[in-house]
Amino acid sequence: MLLLPKFDYEEPKSMREALAMLSELKGSAKVIAGGTDLLVNMKKGTVRPTRLVSLKKIGGLREIAREDAGLSIGSHVTISEIADSALVVSLFPVLARSASCLGSPLIRNRATIGGNIVTARPAADLPPALMVLGAEVQLKGKGKSRTVPLDSFFTGPGSSVMKAGEVLTKISVPAVPSFTGGDYIKLGHRAALEIAIVAVASRLTLDRPDGVIVDARIVLSSVAPTAVHAPLAEKALTGQRPSEELFARAASIAATECSPITDLRGGAGYRCDMVGILTRRTLLKAFHDASGMKEGGA
Amino acid sequence: MKAYNVINTRLPRVDAMAKATGDARYAADLAMPNMLYGALLQSPLAHAKILNIDTTAAKKLPGVRDVVTAKEAGLVKYGVSPARYDEQVFCSDKVRYVGDEIAAVVAVDLETAMEAVSLIKVDYEELPVLLDIESATTEGAIAIHDDFPGNVGAEVHQEFGNFEEALKECDIVRTDRFVNKRQDGGFLEPQACLAHYDLSGNLTLWSSTQSVHYVQRSVSMVLGIPIGKVRVIKPYVGGGFGPKAAVNTMEIAASLMSRRTGKPVKMVFSREQVFLHSRARHQFFHELTTGVKKDGTIVALKNTCHLDGGAYSSFGIATIYYAGSLLGAPYKLPNMKYDGYRIYTNKPTCGAQRGHGGVAARAAWEQQLDIIAAELKMDPVEFRLKNIMKTGDVTCNDFNMSSLGMKECLEAVRDGSGWSKKKGKLPKGKGIGAACGFFVSGAGYPIYRSETFHSTATIRLTEDGGAVNLYTAAAEIGQGSDTILGQIAAEALGVTLDDVKVHSGDTDFGVDLGAYSSRQTLMSGHAAKAAAEDAKRQVLEALSEVLNVSPADLDIAKGVIVFKKGKPDFSRLRTAYAKEHRGWKDIPSEGELTFKEAARIAFLTRGVIIGNGAYKPGELGGKYKGAAVGTSPAYGCSAQVVEVTVDMETGKVTVDAMTDAHDCGFAINRTNVEGQMQGSLSMGLGEALFEEVRFDGKGRVVNASLGEYRIATALDMPNVRTIIVESDEPNGPFGAKEVGEGAIMPTIPAILNAVYDAVGVRINELPITSERLYAAMREKQKK
Amino acid sequence: MKKLMTLTVNDRAYEVAVAPNRTLTQLLRDDLNLLGTKEGCGVGDCGACTVIMDGKPVNSCLVLAVQADGSHIKTIEGVATSDGLHPVQQTFVEMGAIQCGFCTPGMVLSATSLLEKNPHPTEHEVRQALSGNLCRCTGYQKIVEAVQEASRRMKK
Repeated sequence: MLLLPKFDYEEPKSMREALAMLSELKGSAKVIAGGTDLLVNMKKGTVRPTRLVSLKKIGGLREIAREDAGLSIGSHVTISEIADSALVVSLFPVLARSASCLGSPLIRNRATIGGNIVTARPAADLPPALMVLGAEVQLKGKGKSRTVPLDSFFTGPGSSVMKAGEVLTKISVPAVPSFTGGDYIKLGHRAALEIAIVAVASRLTLDRPDGVIVDARIVLSSVAPTAVHAPLAEKALTGQRPSEELFARAASIAATECSPITDLRGGAGYRCDMVGILTRRTLLKAFHDASGMKEGGA
Repeated sequence: MKAYNVINTRLPRVDAMAKATGDARYAADLAMPNMLYGALLQSPLAHAKILNIDTTAAKKLPGVRDVVTAKEAGLVKYGVSPARYDEQVFCSDKVRYVGDEIAAVVAVDLETAMEAVSLIKVDYEELPVLLDIESATTEGAIAIHDDFPGNVGAEVHQEFGNFEEALKECDIVRTDRFVNKRQDGGFLEPQACLAHYDLSGNLTLWSSTQSVHYVQRSVSMVLGIPIGKVRVIKPYVGGGFGPKAAVNTMEIAASLMSRRTGKPVKMVFSREQVFLHSRARHQFFHELTTGVKKDGTIVALKNTCHLDGGAYSSFGIATIYYAGSLLGAPYKLPNMKYDGYRIYTNKPTCGAQRGHGGVAARAAWEQQLDIIAAELKMDPVEFRLKNIMKTGDVTCNDFNMSSLGMKECLEAVRDGSGWSKKKGKLPKGKGIGAACGFFVSGAGYPIYRSETFHSTATIRLTEDGGAVNLYTAAAEIGQGSDTILGQIAAEALGVTLDDVKVHSGDTDFGVDLGAYSSRQTLMSGHAAKAAAEDAKRQVLEALSEVLNVSPADLDIAKGVIVFKKGKPDFSRLRTAYAKEHRGWKDIPSEGELTFKEAARIAFLTRGVIIGNGAYKPGELGGKYKGAAVGTSPAYGCSAQVVEVTVDMETGKVTVDAMTDAHDCGFAINRTNVEGQMQGSLSMGLGEALFEEVRFDGKGRVVNASLGEYRIATALDMPNVRTIIVESDEPNGPFGAKEVGEGAIMPTIPAILNAVYDAVGVRINELPITSERLYAAMREKQKK
Repeated sequence: MKKLMTLTVNDRAYEVAVAPNRTLTQLLRDDLNLLGTKEGCGVGDCGACTVIMDGKPVNSCLVLAVQADGSHIKTIEGVATSDGLHPVQQTFVEMGAIQCGFCTPGMVLSATSLLEKNPHPTEHEVRQALSGNLCRCTGYQKIVEAVQEASRRMKK
C-alpha cells in the first residue's frame, strides 16, 4: 500500500472561501480536482501540501457551455466529458481527439481540463490543442480575476504564471473561422497509458476550400520546457497555397524550433525528427478537414 | 487418441467464480486479530560498507513493537542453490544494490512502521559502484562478494561434439551478437505475506509464493526453526512468472518479528519494491556463431553468453546453464559449444522468469537462422522444417525428445497464418516472421541436491458423499494447476470434476517443488494421478469383496461403477445405503451403482480411504557438468508466425496478428492451454517492444512503475490465434507436458524476423522501440 | 482530523469517519472490509483498484475517501445480484478470461460499465474500454472474447 502523507482537507462552499484558504497558506495549499497528477506526486513524496482544497461544492466549474460562437469549459470538466461532448466533437475535434489520447479511460474519468493545464507538464495532452485553438484561461484570485491566453500561460516544467492563491475557473475557446481544420498526434510507446514521447497539434485556416492558408498554428509538446508554437513554420505556411511540399518544408522548419532533452522516453535527436514527421501529418489532416468543411471546426 | 470424460475439455476453472466475484483472498487481503504491520529499510546506495546502524530512535517511536537487523536475524546465508548461498536476510557488512535490505520494523500500523524506518540511522562508507559487466570485470574492480574477486559469480564451459572441427564442413559460418534488457515479472499482485508464530512455537506463514516448499526450507534454515514447525500456505496468488519462486526478505523478516513479538505480522511490497526485489529476467549478451552446410543443414553452434546477474545469485546459477542448454533443440545440432559467465553487478538480483535463460538465446539464434536461410535463398519455414528433430531424437546435450510435435507445430502456423501467400509478398512496411522454440516440462532435478520426490499427492475420500479431496502442495498461481490437477484426479478415479475438491499450496499437504520450470502439469499431475488410481484401487477392491466380482472386471467412469462382465444385483447394497440415509431426498435410484455408494461401502469395510501418489523423474540426461540443468522428463515445443506493420517514418512497430502452435503433449484443459499460450505471447511481445528496467548512474531503478515499465495493454495485443498440437508424451500423465513457458520462446524472434521482412532491418538489441528501429532504418538508408 | 462522511457502496449506505489522507481503496478494503478491490500499484498505472464511482469506472487509489462523500460506489462485490452472476462474470468464468484473477475485479467493472453505455461495442471499443486495466496473464484475448459474448447474451 502506497501511503499519502498527512494533510488537511477542506470543501469550501464558495469561491471566496476557497480563495481565502488558498492564499492563506501561500502555496502550501493546493486545489485537488481529479487528483490523477497531484495524488501520484504526493505518494511519491515530490509534493507536500499541508492542505488540499476541493472545489466540489462550488458551482459553475463543471459545465461546457456556448460562449459567443465558441465554448466556455469549466475547469473541473473531466477529460472524458470533453472527449465525449457532442459540442466539443463538432466544434473542436482536435480538442476531443487530444482528450481521448490522455492516459486511460479510468484516468480520463477523473482528470480534469483544469488539472491538465495547471500542472503544466511539458507532455500534457490538452494544452497543444487548446493553444492552437487560441484558448484563454480565467484565473480568479482574492478580489480579482484575470484572463490569460494559454500561449502565455506556461513558464516551465511544472510552472505557470498562476500566483499562489489563484484558481483556474474556466477555459474559453473561441470559435474557429470557416475552412479551418486541426489535428493532434501523440507518439508514445504503447497504445494507452502513455505520456507522449512527442506530440504535435496543428491548425490551418483557408480563405476558401481551394484557396490559400490565412492562418497556421503549430504547437509542439514534450520537446521543450513547455508546449511551444513553431512560429517560423507557422510563418512559412501563412499566405501560401497548400501542397505536400509546403507541408514538408514547414515540418522541417518546425523540427528546428524545439529543444528536446533526452530522457526516459526518448532521445533528443529522435524527438526533433519526429516533430517533423508529426507536423507534416497533422498539417495534412488539418488541411484535409479545412478544405472539406463548410463551417469552421478544428 | 483415447476418449476421456473429464480431461481434454474446456471445463471452467475451479477457482474462476471466486475470482470473478471478488471473493478470492490474496496475501494482502489476509488479516488476523492483533496483527502488526512490517516495513523494510532498504539501502539507498548501490555499494557501501555499513559502518553503523542506530535503531534507537526507531525503537522509541510510539506504536513500534520491534526493530530487527542482522544482529537479531543472524547471519545464516541462503539462496536458491546451496552452491550459491550468498544472501542474508539483512545486510551486515555491506549493501550491494539499491534496495538491499538492512532492517525491518513492525508496528501497530503501516504509517508508524514506515515512519520508524525513516528514523533508523545508517552510516555508510561508499564503495565503487559497478553497474555493468564491463566495469565489474575490469582488472582491479572491487569484489562485490569476497568469494568472487573479479565478480564472475558463475562460469560454465560445455562442448558437445567438436565445434571447430565441425566448422570445416560448413559452407556458411555466421557470427552475430544480441542483447536484451533486464525485464521485470510484471505480475499484478505485489508480493505480500502474513506470518504467525504461535505460542507453541509453530510458524504459519501465508505468502504470495510459487513454492511453499522452498520458502518453508529457507525460513526453517535461516531462522533455525525445525521444518516440522514451519507451515507455509499459499493463498490466491496474482501471478508469479518466476520471481516468486524463491523466498523473499519479507517472508523471513515477518516470521522473525512474529516470533519476537508473539503477534501476527503482515508485510506487503509496494510496486517500487517489486522492482527493487526483481529476481526477474537477466540481461544476456550473446555472441552466436553458427555453421551451416549449403544444403541448409545446421552443423555447429558456438554460444558465448555474459549474464548481468545483479548483486546476488538467486536462480541465476541455473539461468547461466539454460542460456546455453536451451539451444540444443528443436533442431538437429550435433556440435554445440557454450561458454557462459554470470557477472555480479550492484543492481537488483536477477533470477528466473518465464522461459528462464532460454528466451534471449532463442531470440538471438532464431533471428540468425533467418539470416542464414536468406543467404541460402531458402524459405525460413522450409529451412527450419529441414532441420527439426522428431520424437525419439536426443540432442547433443542429452535431452531426450520423448515426444516432439515440432513439425506439426511449424506446419500448423505456416498454414494457419497464410504464410505462403504473405511471405515476400507484403507491401513495404508490412512483414511476416516465424520462429520455433522448446522448453522443459519441469527441471529434472530439484534446486537442492536431494532424493526427494518432486511432487506428492494425497486423496482422501469422504466417508459419506463420495467427495474426493485432493491434497497437494502444488501452487496455483493463476496458471490453472488446481483445475488441471482436479481434472487429472477426476479422470483417473472415474468421477466428475465437481466431485473433486482441490486443496493446494500448503506444506502440510505434502511436498511439491512448486510452480516453476513449467513442471506442475507433468510432475504434480503424475502424483495426483497415482493418488487417484490408488484410491480407485481400494474402492474397487472393497466393492469386489462385497459383490464377489473380480476387481479386473470393475471400473469407475463418470461417477458410476462400470461392470465389464454384466451387472450383478446390488440392490442389497442400495437398500443398506438408503437405510443409512433415511430422510434424504436424493437416494440413488438409477440403474447404475454410483461412486458415492461404492465409496461408502469402501469406508464401511476398510475405514478412511486414502490414496497416495508421489513422483520423481527417473535418471535423466547426461553425465557432464551442468547436465542437471535442462534435463527434463519431457519437452514442450512451439512455433509462431507474427505479422507486423512498421510505420516507416517513426519506426513504430505494431503487431497485427500472431499465430502460435504449441505441443503440450495432451491438453488436460484446452481453454487453459490456450490461455497459457496467449499470456506467454503477451509477455514476449512486451519484452520485444517495450519492456526494460532502467538505471541511473547511481544504480537506482528509474522506471520502477507500471507506467514507465511498459507491459502490453489490451490495445497493444493483437488477436492471437492458438493451435494446440498433441504429441502424446509417454512420460506425462495422460500424455500431457508443459505449456506454461514454452510458448514465449518463438515470440521475440518471430517479431524480429517480421520486422526484417517489413523494412529490411535487423535489430540486435531489445526492445525494438520506435527510436531504435528508426535509427536502424536511417543507418540502412545511408548505406 | 477525521471527517465524517456518508457514501453508498453496492447500494448500501455507510457513515464513516476517515482521515483525509486515506484513499477510497483504503476505505473500501480496510474500513468496509470489501477486499475485492485490489491495490496493484497505488498510482493509477494498472487498474487493479477500479471501482465504479457515480457511474464511471475510476482508479480508486487516486480518489481520496473524503472525495467520495455523497457518492455511489460499485465494487466487484456489487456486480452479481440475487439473480446470479452478471453476464460478464458468467462469460469470464466460462471462457477462460480469468487466470490469476488479480486484474479480474477491475476488468469486470470496466467491462460492465462499457456494456451499460455501449451494449454492442466493436472489438476495438472493448479493447479501448479495458486499456486502463493491465493483465499479465491472459494476453487479453479471452477477456475481449468474453466481453463480446456477454454483449451478445445481453442482447437477447
